[in-house]
Amino acid sequence: MEDYKFLFKIVLVGNAGVGKTCLVRRFTQGLFPPGQGATIGVDFMIKTVEVEGEKIKLQIWDTAGQERFRSITQSYYRSAHALILVYDISCQPTFDCLPDWLREIQEYANSKVLKILVGNKTDRDDREIPTQIGEEFAKQHDMYFLETSAKEAENVERLFYEIAAELIGQARSKDGSGSAAAAAAQRQSEGSSIGLGSLSAKAAQSNCCGGLASGGGSNSSQAD
Amino acid sequence: MSDDLPEQFDLVVIGTGFTESCIAAAASRVGKSVLHLDSNEYYGDVWSSFSMDALCARFDQKPEPHSTLRNCSYTWHTRDTETGEQLWNRDSVLAKSRRFSLDLCPRILYAAGELVQLLIKSNICRYAEFRAVDHVCMRHNGEIVSVPCSRSDVFNTKTLTMVEKRLLMKFLTACNDYGEDKCNEDSLEFRGRTFQEYLQAQRVTEKISSCVMQAIAMCDPTTSFEEGMQRTQRFLGSLGRYGNTPFLFPMYGCGELPQCFCRLCAVYGGIYCLKRAVDDIALDSNSNEFLLSSAGKTLRAKNVVSAPGYPPVSKGIELKAHISRGLFISSSPLGNEELNKGGGGVNLLRLVDAEGSREAILIQLAHYTGACPEGLYIFHLTTPAVSENPAADLDVFTSQLFDHSDAQIIFSSYFTIAAQCNTSVAAEHIHYTDAPTYELDYDAAIANARHIFGKLLADADFLPRAPDPEEIVVDGEDPSALNEHSLPEDLRAQLQDMQKATQEMDIQN
Repeated sequence: MEDYKFLFKIVLVGNAGVGKTCLVRRFTQGLFPPGQGATIGVDFMIKTVEVEGEKIKLQIWDTAGQERFRSITQSYYRSAHALILVYDISCQPTFDCLPDWLREIQEYANSKVLKILVGNKTDRDDREIPTQIGEEFAKQHDMYFLETSAKEAENVERLFYEIAAELIGQARSKDGSGSAAAAAAQRQSEGSSIGLGSLSAKAAQSNCCGGLASGGGSNSSQAD
Repeated sequence: MSDDLPEQFDLVVIGTGFTESCIAAAASRVGKSVLHLDSNEYYGDVWSSFSMDALCARFDQKPEPHSTLRNCSYTWHTRDTETGEQLWNRDSVLAKSRRFSLDLCPRILYAAGELVQLLIKSNICRYAEFRAVDHVCMRHNGEIVSVPCSRSDVFNTKTLTMVEKRLLMKFLTACNDYGEDKCNEDSLEFRGRTFQEYLQAQRVTEKISSCVMQAIAMCDPTTSFEEGMQRTQRFLGSLGRYGNTPFLFPMYGCGELPQCFCRLCAVYGGIYCLKRAVDDIALDSNSNEFLLSSAGKTLRAKNVVSAPGYPPVSKGIELKAHISRGLFISSSPLGNEELNKGGGGVNLLRLVDAEGSREAILIQLAHYTGACPEGLYIFHLTTPAVSENPAADLDVFTSQLFDHSDAQIIFSSYFTIAAQCNTSVAAEHIHYTDAPTYELDYDAAIANARHIFGKLLADADFLPRAPDPEEIVVDGEDPSALNEHSLPEDLRAQLQDMQKATQEMDIQN
């Protein structure tokens, strides 16, 4: 069995070109791909982090370009523990689209999902959205807020570590009812959903299956 | 949003139903440039799942002449209850609208069936989760009873007597061994005869015969011996993999499945546009390419695949009623407490009419599937259409189910799914997928997708395994995370091991 205590699924949304892929690659690979590097075949990226002495596996999902024509599959939002909504601080239209994204999130994502608003590209000197405006928007819609630069690696680590810490807190909270992470942990312990990957899940007794492939287990927040 | 759509594609796929999505994913996976369009604002076409609001809105839509979905009607039921206050009614159901995933084409997956194998083989399984079906049921003397599936089920069941248990085990073992032991003279003489004749010759009781015919082999009296054997083996081969029955249901409904394929297509560079219709299509005889006009733009494609029911390509295709569907929402499940432990089961029941000539599939879903709120149940009823009146087609089955039950139906709806009269035509070189056929799993749909893919790309592999992210990104990651799933050979071997283990466990000893 792989050596991690929790597995969390984090998904990114936001307009094309705001730097979603760059954020993910900066965090997982320490790279900043110049230009729009092709991401063909890359589905989600994985990074194991250590928070409060626990090994946490983060599964970070990108939109696969489906945001270009506003055609993200609903299933993309399913079973996400945290959702990062990204805009470009130097591009007003990407900020103006946030309400549309929130509507979609509300429709398809778990209502308890942890939501983070991220203003990316703080390295740019042609800022159009003042920090305070972003902050206010996040507050209004019950989201955490952070400004980042994937290019300068500013706040990128912090973003994901804070998400991991918050999700662990949620998963551990005994009452648990309040969060997607806790709900998923519970669902897992009840054995209520199956991933096909865990073929080893000859869990003939439990009546639910997770993903079909191992390691996939996108629903699982706890593994041993 | 700026329309920076490229203009040249290897393949344009129209419609995001299951079969089209399979083809789009397969083509994209082997490096073809794919544009996938749907005039609807949702994925899945007639294979989609809807929220409560969206389903009603879809039913209210004026039917289009080419649409594969038709004859839609729905009714809200208010009941007088002695207790007065009603927990569930139209308003309270609609208030939870988005907690529903209501399938137009609900299916059940064999745990070792075509689709599950394809999902594992291609690694598309990472986009989906499943729920094991709790009970496979049959109707016996007007009651809904659970059919024992596993070996331990057979021994624990109260449905059968001791003698019947032995007979059933013996029979199933014989079915499982059939084919391996070619010289089994006992079975040889039944070649060319019906499965029912074989069953009768085994001197099983009427109850066991019902179990096998109705639920395990899912046969009618005319089913041939070979076919019946094959179906029984298919059932047995899927046992013991996940859960207690051989079946799985996708979490959040079957509408998730086409989306899983679309996601893979997108990951490999496929471009997605919902709410985008094709206005006209023509073949450029010079370049031998298709010219599609869409939203004022002309696109060029080497090949076009389309679902039936999408204009303009569907002009001249004749559709006829193919599947009659009933979809019901109830505040109480069907069958006794035993079948619905812990807030309700996900149960499968195959129904047959009195003559045994017509059949229907009932899928009962509880909130564990993520398809409805807790406390409510969805009943999906599906039968091959005999007319353009789905309610009349289903009447014989709804009366079996609801007439003497205490099911509290809140919402009922009926609709027809139409299919082309002539299947798999390639009119003017456009490849049409088949509309959903009447089947339990997705075998026919996958065969259809493979067939069309084979015509487009004769030598290409159909959905080879997509690598895991661990294989692409190793940075910051323990290299040992490259686990046993790294190679397709391993997966295959694992599958075989599983099958072997399954057989040994459930049948042989």
